[in-house]
Formats: sequence, C-alpha cells, structure tokens
Amino acid sequence: MNGDSILTCNNLTIGYRNQKSITKEVSKDLNLTLKRGELVCLIGPNGAGKSTLIRTITGIQPPLCGDVWLCDKKIEDHTPDEKAKTLSVVLTSPIEAGYLTAFDIVALGRFPYTNWAGNLTDSDRDIVISALASVGAKELTRRFIHEMSDGERQKVMIARALAQEPEMMVLDEPTAFLDLPHKIETMRILRTVARKTSKSILLSTHDLNLAIRCADQLWIINRAGNMISGVPEDLVLSGIFGSAFEIDGVYFDTIRGEFTIPVEKRGTFSLSAPESIEKIWTLYALERIGYTPATGPEGDIRITIGNNGGAPEWDILIEGSAKKCSSISEIIECLSTSGRGGGPN
Amino acid sequence: MNISASNHGDSFRRLAIVIPVILIILIFLFILDLLTGSVNIPPDAFIKMLTGGDVKTTWVNIFWDWRLPKAITAAFAGGALALSGLLMQTFFRNPLADPYILGISSGASLGVALVMLSAGACGVGAIFATIGFIGDLSISVAAIIGSFAVLALILAISSKIKSNITILILGIMVSYISGAIVTILLQFSDESSMHSYTAWTFGSFSGVTWGQIPIMMILLLAGFILSICSVKSLNALLLGEQYAESMGMNYKTIRTVIITNTALMAGVVTAFCGPIGFLGIAVPHLCRAMFVTGDHRILVPGCIIVGGIIALCTDIISHLPGTDIILPLNAITALFGAPVVIWVIVRGTKFGRGVTT
Repeated sequence: MNGDSILTCNNLTIGYRNQKSITKEVSKDLNLTLKRGELVCLIGPNGAGKSTLIRTITGIQPPLCGDVWLCDKKIEDHTPDEKAKTLSVVLTSPIEAGYLTAFDIVALGRFPYTNWAGNLTDSDRDIVISALASVGAKELTRRFIHEMSDGERQKVMIARALAQEPEMMVLDEPTAFLDLPHKIETMRILRTVARKTSKSILLSTHDLNLAIRCADQLWIINRAGNMISGVPEDLVLSGIFGSAFEIDGVYFDTIRGEFTIPVEKRGTFSLSAPESIEKIWTLYALERIGYTPATGPEGDIRITIGNNGGAPEWDILIEGSAKKCSSISEIIECLSTSGRGGGPN
Repeated sequence: MNISASNHGDSFRRLAIVIPVILIILIFLFILDLLTGSVNIPPDAFIKMLTGGDVKTTWVNIFWDWRLPKAITAAFAGGALALSGLLMQTFFRNPLADPYILGISSGASLGVALVMLSAGACGVGAIFATIGFIGDLSISVAAIIGSFAVLALILAISSKIKSNITILILGIMVSYISGAIVTILLQFSDESSMHSYTAWTFGSFSGVTWGQIPIMMILLLAGFILSICSVKSLNALLLGEQYAESMGMNYKTIRTVIITNTALMAGVVTAFCGPIGFLGIAVPHLCRAMFVTGDHRILVPGCIIVGGIIALCTDIISHLPGTDIILPLNAITALFGAPVVIWVIVRGTKFGRGVTT
C-alpha cells in the first residue's frame, strides 16, 4: 500500500446482486487510487454507475468482486466508528429537519467522538465553529436550516462532513440544484479544504466544465461502464474526455475546454484589433452566429475594433460598404440585415 | 468561542428557564386534578388531608382511591404518549406520525374486543357488564397481548426489509385488518358488551387501580429512561438514515430500540387507559415550538413534562368540575389536538417541512 494513498480499489467490480445467482455488473476491473489532499471529480452520463461506485466505495454496498482499501484496511473491516472517523459523506437527499440551526447540524458531525448523550466538549465546539468558518458559513451559525437557501444548506452539509474530521470526504453531486456562482463557490471551498487540511475529496458531478478546471484527477465512467482516470488536461489532450460525453449535436471544444453547440456556418471573418476583452467577446459573438475566422488574408466581413473617446467602436466592412457600430448587438443586427447568410435568426 | 458558547447555550438556557416553569405548572395541574371533579375538594381540606387533619371521610376516599391514581396515570400516560409520538415522528421523519402509527393500539383494540365481545357472544358478557370494564385486569392483559403481537410482527418483518416507509404501510395495514375484525365482532355482540367496548375506545385515566399503578409506572419509567438513552441517535436520525449510518450509528439496533420502546409505552398506555388519540401527535410539535429546537436532549424531557401537563388539562376538562358529567377523554384531546395538527400542516408549507410526500 502506498503510504500516501487514502483509498485504493483493486480489480473492483461494482454492480448489484439481485437474487442468489443473478448479478448485474455495472463496471468491472476498476483500479483506482485517491491520494491525500487530492480532489477527484467522478463524472459520467446518467446511468453509467457513478452512484453505484460511490455506494461501493463508501461501503454501503458490497463489491461483486475485488476490494476497496480505506487507509490500510479493507472498507468492510472497519468498525462503524472507525469508518465514521475516516470517511464522511454529503448526500444528495435534502435535509428536512425543522428547528435545527447550522450549528446543531454541524455538531452532529461530532457523533463518533461525543458521549452517549452527544454533549459537546469545548474542543468539539471549536471544531464545529472552525468547520463552519472554513466553508465561509460562520454567519449562518445561528440560522435555522429550513430558512436557508440551497447554497447555504450545501455549505452547512459540507461543514458537517468536515466536523467529522475524516481522512476522506465523499460528496454525491454537491453542485446539483445550485446556480453557477454557487457551484463555483462550492468547488472553491472543496478545493481549499483539500489543500489546507490535506483531506482527500471525491465528488460526483455533472458539471464537466467545472470538473476540468477544479479536479486534480478525473474519473470518467462512460456509457459502457468503462472507467478512465487521469489528470483532466491529459484526458482532454488524448480526446478521451470529448468522446466520453459527445452526443449528437454537441461537441467538445478542445481549445476552450467546454461543450458547445455547433451552428450553421454563415461565412468567414477577419478581425483586427489589439488584444483586449472586447476582441475576445467579439470573437465569441461572431462564432455564436455562425462565422468562422478566415484562413486567407480576407474574410467575408472585416472588423476592426477602434476606440472612440474611451468607448470601444467597431468598424465593419461588409460587401464593400462600411459601417460603424457601438455595441455587439449592433454588429449582429447589421450582419443579419445585410442579406448575407439568410434572414434574421 | 463566544459564538459557540452563546449559541449552544441558547436552547439550554431557554430550557433552564422553561423547565422549572413547566414543572410548576405540572405540579399545579396535578393538584388541581386532585381537587376538582364531580365533588370539589376545597384547598384547605386538601392541606389538612396531607397534614393528617380531620376531613370528611367521603373526601378522603375520593382523594385516595379515585383522584390520586387518576392523576398519576394522567401524568405518566400523557408523558409516554407524547414521547412515543416524538420517537415515531423522528423515526419516520414525518410530522404526522403518532404513537399508534405502527398499529400498536389497533392490536390492543383487537385484544380488548376479542375479550369483551367474544365473551359477550358466549354469554359471559353479563359478567363484564356487571363489573364494568373499569379496573378489569383481563382487559389490560388482552390489550398488552394484542399490542405485543403487533410489535412482534413488525419487528419480524422489519428485520427482513430496510425501508422504514414499508414499516409505516405495514402498521397502517395492521390497523385496517384489526379494525375489520373488531367490526365483525361488534356485528355479532350484544348491546351491553358493544357499549362497554365503545366506552373503552373513548379512553379514560380513571380505570387504573392502586394495584396496577406500580406496574404501569415501572414500565413507563423504563420507556422514559430508554428514550433518554437514545437521544444521540435520535438527533442523528434527523438527518436521515444514511447520514446517521455514515456517522457510525447502528441503524438496525436503533430501529429495534425505537420500535420496541414506542410499542412498550403506547401499548401500556392503551392497556390501562384505552386508545387515547391526538396527545401523541400534538405535544411533540408544541414542544418544538416552545423550545425552538429539534434537539432531542431538550425535546425528550420536554415531551415528558408537557405531555403530562396536557393530559392533566384534558382530564380536568373532561370531568367538568362541579358536575356529574364525564365527557369522553378522546373527544377532549381531539378538540385540543386537531387545531395543533392543522397548525402543523399550515406551517409546513411556510418552512418547507411539507406534510405531503
């Protein structure tokens, strides 16, 4: 066993054993390692077996074959108490407990450490408070859980998992139900936790773009149940990442590292401008409505970004006629009325 | 540190203020329940009685043989019902769960109906009619056998299945089955035994004799202590079974403890007082609102005391002080309980703790 690894799966086969002999294999021969302080994102299409893997890794469901090692011990050999002190979870199921404050919820994370009545010692209290602080939820301490937004609730649940002081945290789709800024914030919190406390974090998610940017390692399960793991950038470069998720009408843009919608091609453009934020977003806008950068010296349309007293100004040359635009909206308007590439929309 | 101390002190400090207050209310109501009824005993006579002064013999008899066991029963039964309601609401994570949701009282009712009504059909009913059901030990024994038969059934099946929703449905089905059997028995029984049975279903704290009081107290105290011992797991269960297990709680053991404990308390109360409704569902909600917490370290003692208070109140009201009329206890508890349940449903939409699904 590598001393630095928290979780190791050896030739693991996951799946369900329905009756005495009937088994349904979801994925087989998995060899996975999770190192201390590492953040791993488990991604894959719906129904590929993410939940099954998470249930097997957390010991809720026995593996069909092979074994899961958690800190030098097989997962099933841990006593419930030992396991609770090594592994904590954040589940997708919403918490519906009434009249519990964030503090109460996080304090429940001290369950494996407290006495029969669950009374907190001073050091337990400090741990609860610092867990709340490290997810940026200190101001929620006295608020009731049923009065919180989804994002706040998720922070509290992460703090609860932290207060359990595990070596490893497993989160099942922690970013589901959240809006984009809160998704990013949650990932930032988790990454900070992984770095600062050198806990290992495994989370499943559907936010591929976010996963590429945040994870130290990606575990990808494709529809066939095959598992590919590696550093996100390597997986993108080898084309594995795109092929695992592309479906009809959606393709993976390897340059921008995100999934995009292909659009009907309307023409080419050439854009001359100094490197600026305006240039980047002009480029995006043109791509969005179906123009691609010209490979030759001159495109169907030519755009120059200038400066008009501090405000950007776009000079457009289209079919020999020149036009000045003061916003991207005007450019799009101008292009669609010029008769090129069909009517509006 | 400051935040933590003040925060956690909050509910406990409230408890430190509220507990003495509600204890005083409990004692006050206990005494009031002793003094009021068809014959009102004046307070000075009560003090004389305690200090060994000379009081009317009828008052002494009423006090010792009638009112005192009744008040003790009400205080204990109310606490036990409230506590078992709390256990069930936490276990099923359902605000509308009550002590009888497992079918315990249905089992007890079936046992009682079998004794009362089949005896009637065999011509022995006259005995029950003359003695009256009150104080008849065979009724209590039948009820206890009935509720523990249901408990055994629930435990046997729950050891095979994991989902507690299945247990819930099972309990409801058991209620239907025993209700059906009782209906059939009623159809073939004579009028007097039918009346005795109906009177039993009204519920009453008055039927417990001095001989039965120690048994009831010991069994219910055991239930209270068992509940106090499971506060930590009950708190963990607030997050749901999966979270609780992930924190190292042994779900199967706790499930057996909670179900057995609920059956014990609800079964004993049903055996001695009949199926008393609404207390068990309403008091836990009252306590949550009073103490503003879901923490069982506060709710368990809270429910025991507040349950006793509400039971004593309903007992006093049902005896309509100064008159000979005794209203059915269940009518009074329902009149008090139903508004609380309505409040819970309305409140559920506001706080997202919905009752449906």
